[in-house]
Amino acid sequence: MLRVEELSVCFGGLTAVNKVSLSVGTDEVVGLVGPNGAGKTTLFNAVSGLARPSSGRIIFDSVDVLRAPLHRRAKMGIGRTFQIPQPLHELTVRENLLVAQRFGAGQVDQQKIDEILEFTNLAPKGDREAAKELALTELKALEVAKALATNPKLLMLDEVLAGLETSGKRRFMAMLKELHQKFAVGILIIEHDIETISNLCQRVVVLNFGKLIADGAPDQVFRDPEVIKSYTGADHAGSR
Amino acid sequence: MKTNASIWVLLLVAYGAIPLTLGSNHYVMSLLVAALVIGGIALAWALLGNLGGMVSFGHSAFFGVGAYVSALLTLKAGTPIVIAMLLGGVGALLASLVMLPVLRLRGPYFALAILAYAHIFKIIATEWTAVTGGSAGLSSIPRFPTAFGFDFSGKVGSYLIILSVVLIFALCYRLIRASDYGIALRAMHDSEDATRVIGVNSVLLKALMLFVSAFMTGVIGAFNAHYINFLEPDYAFNGLWVTLPIVAAIFGGYRTILGPLIGAVTVYLIDQLVFKSLIPYGHQLILGALLVAMILFSPSGLVPLLRASVRRNHAAG
Ligand SMILES: Nc1ncnc2c1ncn2[C@@H]1O[C@H](COP(=O)(O)OP(=O)(O)O)[C@@H](O)[C@H]1O
Ligand SMILES: [Mg+2]
Repeated sequence: MLRVEELSVCFGGLTAVNKVSLSVGTDEVVGLVGPNGAGKTTLFNAVSGLARPSSGRIIFDSVDVLRAPLHRRAKMGIGRTFQIPQPLHELTVRENLLVAQRFGAGQVDQQKIDEILEFTNLAPKGDREAAKELALTELKALEVAKALATNPKLLMLDEVLAGLETSGKRRFMAMLKELHQKFAVGILIIEHDIETISNLCQRVVVLNFGKLIADGAPDQVFRDPEVIKSYTGADHAGSR
Repeated sequence: MKTNASIWVLLLVAYGAIPLTLGSNHYVMSLLVAALVIGGIALAWALLGNLGGMVSFGHSAFFGVGAYVSALLTLKAGTPIVIAMLLGGVGALLASLVMLPVLRLRGPYFALAILAYAHIFKIIATEWTAVTGGSAGLSSIPRFPTAFGFDFSGKVGSYLIILSVVLIFALCYRLIRASDYGIALRAMHDSEDATRVIGVNSVLLKALMLFVSAFMTGVIGAFNAHYINFLEPDYAFNGLWVTLPIVAAIFGGYRTILGPLIGAVTVYLIDQLVFKSLIPYGHQLILGALLVAMILFSPSGLVPLLRASVRRNHAAG
């Protein structure tokens, strides 16, 4: 479904993503790991259209989307969340989903919205709360809910579990496990915690300094000496 | 319920009490017409700012283009005034098309670019003498006709026309704001990227708001041309056609729909009736001071301030 080929993204002299190739199938849950600053978020930005690649190709559903504007990619089925939640502040939770559905999926379906609210544990907040009044767990849930409302084929999750306390994390994890089946989406998820990735993903891709250094089953990849070095060599083993 | 009631009262006063009591006072009626012209531009300007997130200093261009298009169509092609006025709006909309490239600019760059564009139209009106009459201008622009046995060319007739135009625009504004597009535009305000990645074509939506705002301003410019029957570039493209509305909109509350209108009537009438008689020259200075006071005292403007005090009285009583 998604195929990224030799993709590079530069910021001035810095090559944040360096000739990365990877793919995500419709029925896959793929982990994307790597130290802070490895270029994971930048890769998401390039695929969703927020960052302009300097070279390479992005093929989605057999279409080259490299030059397609953001909103077109969203309508084609590329959904994403933001590492730092970006709710539509002035709107209620339900309105957030309505906008996503109306413009991303093309038509409004209240029943689907209710279903998404229920699934993301946001149902009690739906109509009353303005998005800006939510707590962190809810903001993260809203990120997922918004993306789901666009009816995506590919869902890119950027550190949705980071910063949550244990109970929130557990609930979120349960949700993530169901997500793939229930909404029939392929998932690419950025997450630092090895256990979480092993638990959720069939496959994991590792970035380090913008380069892809491993791609395979989690139990193999996390035994790869180069991967271990990238994890422990940097200062953040087991941290965010 | 309460808002509805006060709007009905407002309509009754505007359409009934004012023409009946003040109709014979030409001076006051002409002040009211001028205030509504400013108010109409203020409303269109606020629509662009509020929904599109754009601060425009270029609305005098739309006003001038609308005025010239409608005047020329009626003068040279004999087009009926109502149609000419709408085409004046369309002309302003087309003028806004050339401003599309600047939509990608943000903040002060957008404001400066649109100001520069506005100047181009003034130059065209001045230099294209064969059509526009150059700096000598156009005179004998047709007045509003008599319809339903009522002479609309008079002060009261003109007042009723501009009042209706402005109120129709206010209604359109309200409908747009409540629509899906309006909600998406509201969302775009402080989270543009987040809105775009869920499928909203932000450039298109902003462009649409620019078109609507330009069209409205053009129609109002056209109205004004037929009302005063005379146009010259310095007048039609004068920067006051945007600065006064900005003052009015901010004073009244640019985030609300009626704020710009009420702001325009208040500011203009106070300026002309009170300050001008106190200080014949430089009375606009007081307007500036008033605006600053309003921004310091109630940054969201007069209408939100009034609403809050009504609510407070309600709670107290
Ligand atoms: N908009 C930007 N402008 C300049 N540099 C950026 C920008 N976004 C990211 N970077 C840089 O690119 C590198 C990769 O960042 P990022 O993709 O956010 O990493 P990750 O998500 O893996 O932690 C970092 O060095 C970061 O400083
Ligand atoms: Mg990141």
